[in-house]
Amino acid sequence: MLSRVAENLYWFARYVRRTENMARLVGVGSQLQLDLPRSVKFMWQPMIDTVGVAALFKTRFPDAAAVPTDVDVMRFLLLDEGNPSSLRHSVDTAREMLRSIRDTLPPQLWEVVTDLHMFLGEDADRLVTRRNRVDLISRIVDGCLKISGLVTATVSRDIGFQFMQLGTAIEQADMTTRIIDAGASGLVAPRKEEDRETFRNLQWMAVLSSLAADQTYRRHVRQRVTGEHALRFLLQDYDFPRSVHFCLSRAQRMLAAMPPRPEVEKRLGKLVDAIQTADPAALVAKNPASFMDEIQVQLSALHGAVAAGYFSVVEQVASAQQQSPAAA
Amino acid sequence: MDWTNYRSVAFDELIAADGRPRPAAGHLVRYLAKLSDRDVASRQVAASAIARMSGITFTVYSDGRNVDRPLPFDLIPRVLARSEWVRTEAGLKQRIRALNMFIDDVYGEQRIFKDKVVPASLLANSVNFRKECVGVKPPLGIWAHVCGSDLVRDADGKLYALEDNLRIPSGVSYMLENRIVAKRVFPELFETCTILPVDEYPMQLYETLAALSPRPGETPVIVLLTPGVFNSAYFEHTYLAQAMGIELVEGTDLFVGDDDCTYMRTVYGPRRVDVIYRRVDDLFLDPEVFKPDSALGARGLMRSWRAGKVALANAPGAGVADDKVVFAYVPKMIEYYLGEDALLPNVPSYLCTDDDERRYVLDHLADLVVKPANESGGYGMLIGPRSTKKQRAKFKKLVVADPRNYIAQPTLSLSTVPIVTPRGPSPRHVDLRPFILSGSSIYVTTGGLTRVAMKRGSLVVNSSQGGGAKDTWVVDLEDAV
Repeated sequence: MLSRVAENLYWFARYVRRTENMARLVGVGSQLQLDLPRSVKFMWQPMIDTVGVAALFKTRFPDAAAVPTDVDVMRFLLLDEGNPSSLRHSVDTAREMLRSIRDTLPPQLWEVVTDLHMFLGEDADRLVTRRNRVDLISRIVDGCLKISGLVTATVSRDIGFQFMQLGTAIEQADMTTRIIDAGASGLVAPRKEEDRETFRNLQWMAVLSSLAADQTYRRHVRQRVTGEHALRFLLQDYDFPRSVHFCLSRAQRMLAAMPPRPEVEKRLGKLVDAIQTADPAALVAKNPASFMDEIQVQLSALHGAVAAGYFSVVEQVASAQQQSPAAA
Repeated sequence: MDWTNYRSVAFDELIAADGRPRPAAGHLVRYLAKLSDRDVASRQVAASAIARMSGITFTVYSDGRNVDRPLPFDLIPRVLARSEWVRTEAGLKQRIRALNMFIDDVYGEQRIFKDKVVPASLLANSVNFRKECVGVKPPLGIWAHVCGSDLVRDADGKLYALEDNLRIPSGVSYMLENRIVAKRVFPELFETCTILPVDEYPMQLYETLAALSPRPGETPVIVLLTPGVFNSAYFEHTYLAQAMGIELVEGTDLFVGDDDCTYMRTVYGPRRVDVIYRRVDDLFLDPEVFKPDSALGARGLMRSWRAGKVALANAPGAGVADDKVVFAYVPKMIEYYLGEDALLPNVPSYLCTDDDERRYVLDHLADLVVKPANESGGYGMLIGPRSTKKQRAKFKKLVVADPRNYIAQPTLSLSTVPIVTPRGPSPRHVDLRPFILSGSSIYVTTGGLTRVAMKRGSLVVNSSQGGGAKDTWVVDLEDAV
């Protein structure tokens, strides 16, 4: 497997997963907005902060007095080509990644991705209106799930597949921490003190449904939604495929079948430790944000190790011969 | 399909001048005659749909964007009799043997120039001569491993060689795909006539490449080097790499080590590459030797090739014989190297470097086709009978200024094959590009790619200029059911 192809497979998987999470997050935010009484204000800002584009948002809407409308925010989060976290940017990047590795994957993948790309490019202004938003979100999520389905149902379990799985796992772990972050930093701002507790839990409910975890949570935890339980479930659950722990242990399983890279294993081991030893009760009591930041930094270091270990091959021939088995 | 009013101004491949089908095409024409217009239309729709689904495209750069366009596919195949094909194949093999000996001579002893069979001035002015290749002895003495020769049939019914593409000929994937489409659309005909298969090409190509490996005895690592997704033939690159089960690489995937071996970057670490089927032009292959800013090749590739550590197909410099002026000397080369007469005639060519011939060309611009020596894709040429006074004046200047860069040929009345139109079958001009592989033996595709000018009366068949394609059948009449 060529390093370039592996890298594109890895990033393709990441961008598809990023698109899906982003779409779900925006969708849930949109829904949440509708559930709130007038005394409680919905805040888009945490979502913008959490995907790391606050500074860019500020340059788009510099006037603090002129509050951006709901549609402005939607257009920024979904369709703004200059926003590296927008849905459109993620879809287009996934498509560019796929372009040069099309021949290694089932041809329908290209059709699905192209369909999403065209859909987002088509009729942008109509798409962001409140009435069409649910359709937009579900179409994107469906497209992403179709891609995941095609990959698991038809792609050979070779090394390329492992790189895609690794990309998906790292991206999901990262997105899960970001969505927790957004929820914890206050998607809703109650104006009255007595509303505070009720709506705080409502936003944890929103976090769970952004990760398609609400139903599973109820079945497994059987408790009303609280910050502590939601956080334990999303960080440490062994079985839920979007929990950080699940993603990391899947990454560990993938690595076992890949050419060994000690630096990657070390980084991953450290992350698993940090997640397993985290104390959700204590985290909720202060604010989980700084812990989530710490995990994101470690995930980015893990990515760095993967890139250095597999994607940038050092031109050293002497060592090459030893570590170059027959299969590639 | 109604043939009663079908008439061609030129030699028609399917229908003779008396309106009766030619022997090899009899089966097909009678079969088509039985189909209703609706049948024909629905099969044409099905054929286009299959072609689109399988992703047969070529990339065109227009409006500042790259667009994947489907190659227009016409339903009605072009049919050749096996007996004629056997003779043509022998002629093509003879041609490529002589051409490879010529290239080897150019970069070796240069006997043909010393013996004054071909003027040495030809080399001095050749844009495809690579001094970096002088003295190199590639495996088996072969430089042009893959050749695509364009053949045309004139009014006299004879096939002529029009040019030999020895650099990076393309189109073979369309030939293979066209057959897949035709089989799906005309399964009945494939049952009842003996249409010779074409699908062994990828295997033959693999074996041709494998024979070049510098590490005989071991399973060779063969890669296809593509300039990338924006190249017009990218579809073909992925198609062939998949069909042969080899890695499709870009320049950045390769590097040359201190040991002069070529490696590709894999997730397991560097892996040695033995043979590169390169679809990147000479001048972009190695920034160390050629264009210093090229990112399409790999630094040191020429060093690796000259050291015999990696094989390149086609070999750099093979294009020296892919020049329309050199083309004019092919019959002489066959005589000189092989001591034989050419089996396949050349389209007659006038050399503008020769004073008498140039005078003739300039006096007869309105009747001739004038071509630049090194253009491909049908660009930059003058078709005399269809030119304006202004265009002829322009070419007069061009030829006088740089006679070495132009040749002229009589305007051939390219043969026609019917295509499906809403008003019934209608003749369109075609050419034929067989592909010839040279390794330890020589292999010629059965038939080749038939390119067709989709516009009525047009003589330009190039896909970049609106040409389409047809399936090409070599039919064995002796073996008919």
